Amino acid sequence: MNVSEALQTGQGVQLSEALSFGGLTAVTGLSIVFGVLVVLMIVLYLFKLIFYKDSKKTAKPVEEVKETPVVETKAEDDVDDDELIAILTAAVAASLNTSTYNLNIKSYRRINDVRPAWNKQGLRETIESRF
Amino acid sequence: MLESFSSFFSSTGVVALFQDGAIDAIKIIIMLAVACVLLYLAIVKQFEPLLLLPIAFGMLLTNLPMIKDSSAIMMHTEFFTDPAYMVHGMHVDVGRVCREGGLLDILYLGVKLGIYPPLIFLGIGCMTDFGPLIANPKSILLGAAAQFGVFFTFIGALVISALVPSIAWGIKEAASIGIIGGADGPTAIYVTKSLAPSLLPAIAVAAYSYMALIPIIQPPFMKMFTTKKSRSVVMEQLRTVSKTEKIIFPIVVTIVVALVIPDAVSLVGCLMLGNLMKESGVCDRLAKTAQNELMNIITIFLGLTVGATATADSFLSVQTLGIVALGLVAFIFSTIGGLLLGNLMYVLTKGKVNPLIGSAGVSAVPMAARVSQMVGQKENPSNFLLMHAMGPNVAGVIGSAVAAGVFLSMFG
Repeated sequence: MNVSEALQTGQGVQLSEALSFGGLTAVTGLSIVFGVLVVLMIVLYLFKLIFYKDSKKTAKPVEEVKETPVVETKAEDDVDDDELIAILTAAVAASLNTSTYNLNIKSYRRINDVRPAWNKQGLRETIESRF
Repeated sequence: MLESFSSFFSSTGVVALFQDGAIDAIKIIIMLAVACVLLYLAIVKQFEPLLLLPIAFGMLLTNLPMIKDSSAIMMHTEFFTDPAYMVHGMHVDVGRVCREGGLLDILYLGVKLGIYPPLIFLGIGCMTDFGPLIANPKSILLGAAAQFGVFFTFIGALVISALVPSIAWGIKEAASIGIIGGADGPTAIYVTKSLAPSLLPAIAVAAYSYMALIPIIQPPFMKMFTTKKSRSVVMEQLRTVSKTEKIIFPIVVTIVVALVIPDAVSLVGCLMLGNLMKESGVCDRLAKTAQNELMNIITIFLGLTVGATATADSFLSVQTLGIVALGLVAFIFSTIGGLLLGNLMYVLTKGKVNPLIGSAGVSAVPMAARVSQMVGQKENPSNFLLMHAMGPNVAGVIGSAVAAGVFLSMFG
């Protein structure tokens, strides 16, 4: 680009010159910035095409879970339940490999642990030995 | 005995303060006051204190009254700006700086030779997660739109230079001032040290101060350029991004940027190297060093020496006021650029994109994304825009580095 002496040094710049040269540079510059980022955007869309396998294609879009299989019987006092329900829902969503948006939780019920103490101890030891 | 006292007295700062007459003494006092105000902003108001504090203290150190040619002088700005001290009147005489320079002169070589800003980018790369950007590729365009302020301010600076006789900004100065709108400190410093070194302190101070003020500058314009309905749009959840994508991304970006605009590679390349070190997971130790110890050390050197270039002659001028004003213009128009494209996306996708994420396209990671989150949540308390805004936000870093490369290749 040809740049006049005035624009190089800043001495005696004419308004028309400032506007025309500035405008031209701005348009060129912005186009280059957009150009580079558009190329990157295309690359990113290719990423999606190549690497991303949509999990929703394998799973049904909306699953209704009527009752969670793990927890049953006996409703207990409702302290802190909102938070607990959020955690349980997230856990169910994670185990079903879907989003919480696709779940419609009807109810949670707490069940008593009826296993004998020895049984529990054995289970714990098995779990810990796997770490 | 009396003689040794008098010779001691003649070497003190009190004498040095008045060696060039009362006007210079007042200038020194004003500069020390400015440094103290900046220290106040850094410590009490906590404006980007990690940078502003070293910058302000560097300013204090460089303006302390010193006897001429004293060996105690830490910074000789003339070595870097005055052709009489340079090789062939244009290249910094590195040998002279090493022989005669003070501590800050030697550290300043890291700025002048373009070493510190890319190393800072290395650390930033280690801390950046490009996941939200990879998941939503169109958000990268918002990072480009938010460079609007850079180029708008470039025109603005040339116009001011034409209208105000006491300001003589050429294209190089205008480009350095415009890049403030990239809202990215290292990038602004990287461009300015090459194109207009005498404006470096004013531009660095303006860039970092406005970055700290983003939560105040942006929201009014975000409300002005969006409707209540568009602000409350809840965006779809982002897809999961695999490790492979995160690893390939930095490599591809480096190659693409190098093919188009080689001048941006030292910044973008270091950013992506840092990111690759993090995402690959095979060199955690390097990534940790780059984002902690190395970056902290460089931050100290960079801040201190940039502050130290703020001598009374270069800083106390109408130019500085102009830069401070234009810096604000740059930030505002970058915000508006991002918002306008955000609105366009809102219309084109039939209301699936919340235009508020557009303003996060100015780099300033993660502050600008947080502002989008904050403004969005005011409209719809159950809305979480943060991750959606991180996409344009990290794209803004790439965008402003590319804009810097454009200026350097045109005028460097």
